[in-house]
Amino acid sequence: MQESKPASLSILGKIDAVIGKIEVQILSWGIILMAVNTIANVLGRYVFHQSIYFSEELNEFLIVIVTFMGLGYATRKGIHIRMSAIYDALPLKARKILMIVIALTTAIMMAVLAWYAYEYVAKVARRGRVTPSLQVPLYLTYIWVVVGLALTSLQYFLTALRNLNLSEEEVYVSYVEVDSYEDPETTAALSRYAEQQSEESKS
Amino acid sequence: MTELMLIVMVVLLLAGFPMKMPLISAAVLGFLVYFPDMNLQILVQQMIGGVKPAALIAVPMFILAADIITRGHSANRLIDVVMSFMGHIKGGLAISVTSACALFGAVCGSTQATVVAIGGAMRPRMLKSGYNDSFAIGLIVNAADLAYLIPPSIGMIIYGVVSGTSISQLFIAGIVPGLLIVVLFSAYCMWYAIRHDIPVLPKADWGERFKSVRRAVWPMGFPLIIVGGIYGGVFSPTEAAAICVLYAVILEAVVFRSIRLRDLPDIALSTGAITSVVFILIAAGAAFSWTLSFAQVPQTIISALGLSEAGPLTVLLAINIAFFVGCMFVDSIVVILILVPIFAPMIKATGLDPVLVGVLITLQVAIGAATPPFGCNLFTAIAVFRRPFVDVVRGVPPFLIILLVVTGLLVVFPQIALFLPELAYR
Repeated sequence: MQESKPASLSILGKIDAVIGKIEVQILSWGIILMAVNTIANVLGRYVFHQSIYFSEELNEFLIVIVTFMGLGYATRKGIHIRMSAIYDALPLKARKILMIVIALTTAIMMAVLAWYAYEYVAKVARRGRVTPSLQVPLYLTYIWVVVGLALTSLQYFLTALRNLNLSEEEVYVSYVEVDSYEDPETTAALSRYAEQQSEESKS
Repeated sequence: MTELMLIVMVVLLLAGFPMKMPLISAAVLGFLVYFPDMNLQILVQQMIGGVKPAALIAVPMFILAADIITRGHSANRLIDVVMSFMGHIKGGLAISVTSACALFGAVCGSTQATVVAIGGAMRPRMLKSGYNDSFAIGLIVNAADLAYLIPPSIGMIIYGVVSGTSISQLFIAGIVPGLLIVVLFSAYCMWYAIRHDIPVLPKADWGERFKSVRRAVWPMGFPLIIVGGIYGGVFSPTEAAAICVLYAVILEAVVFRSIRLRDLPDIALSTGAITSVVFILIAAGAAFSWTLSFAQVPQTIISALGLSEAGPLTVLLAINIAFFVGCMFVDSIVVILILVPIFAPMIKATGLDPVLVGVLITLQVAIGAATPPFGCNLFTAIAVFRRPFVDVVRGVPPFLIILLVVTGLLVVFPQIALFLPELAYR
């Protein structure tokens, strides 16, 4: 697959892979930090009679970064929740065209949001607002919204691009993933079931 | 104008757009039409604000705890304990499925995970024991709904944040309706077993029972943390969720050794991905709800439907029907995010208890998970049990009827849901 792509696309692919790795780190450590932070706050309150004064603020920052930076990852993996009943019933070519339309429209919408998010964050930065407990400049905690939305937009553009070759057999729900839509929670539950099955057959 | 927003939403939904698009597009469209002089930055601000409430942190925490637990063997321990007590009564195996789903739902809160964990282990046993396959699958996909109703419940957290209702009270209020469903399902299972003359299993003696209880003691700690901690005022729901994560790590990594600590980043990645997918919907929902309420769209819809003078009973009925139908077709979180802001002014005007409304909505969401044409439990069952859609759906109707009866009972006797929270908080 890699060879068949033109050189410009393969450079894009490499950049894309690096971004993907960063997103993975942000997602997993963002969630772990969130857990550690909340647990530490509870233990601090009951065991040491001392709450963490910035606990809530840190969680706010973490959930913002996980949500918006995770968006690119979710798009890359093609795990956004969508209703695919009608889509699934269409013939291959129509599915491909519909996927291009979906990806392009979504890409444009994400780009528009990224632009207004940028304006908003720039405004917040100009006003020099800081967070209440940690006194960190507020725009530093919001900049991830802009980055995340922009990367998501890029992902959808890449998806549209990937599907442009109408003679190909597969429909891509993202730049790398072939059409195999499931609701993410269902997919997670099923993959764990498959893991357990293979473990059981081993033992 | 309201029509245009609705049409765009429905078209984008049906065309298979990712669910955030219908919400965001409707919000942006409504914004441009109603507030042409204002800057779209406001919607971005609403989106960021939408994911920030501290109560929402409970969602990724409960998902993470569930992700950790489902990698271990807690489900089997819970199954063993209910089997040792109920296996010998008529329909005992089916009753055990119901109770195990309720117990596992109290541990993890994901209906899909419940279908896999309980259904995957119990369906072969039910088939061997002489139950019809469509009955077994029908029972499994519907009993798994209990995971929504019995705390922890992600749907309740999102409803609580969107409507400004106490999540603690919602959690407590879901318990009795959940148990009522267990009782009614069990009664039906018993009747089914008698009618089809399904043999009973040998009775476990007290030695075996004691052993199975001891093996299940650790997983039973989760409901204790969640219900006890919240009821006793020790934790907020978010803190209870985080403590569940700690407990799950101790349980699976230290006590049972089913995961290693270095697996945690991988597990957290899967949690993070689901969190992002759900939270972008919440963010989009916040923007949508802002446009909606500032443009007075709910009032327009309400008067168009002739509901502006409606009494509480009519409003409850309308809410139930709207959520039941909505959840048949669309992902439950999206339904909550779209419909709750629309009904909010009506709920306020009629003086309905928002906790009762929340329980009813959660029940409809739960029913939707196992109701054709679309239901996440159905799709999970198709994949896990490798049966076609028609076979999976065939056994659903009797259970659906029972769930609708429970809906009716809750509307007529709200105390079923409300007396526990009233006892605790009011």
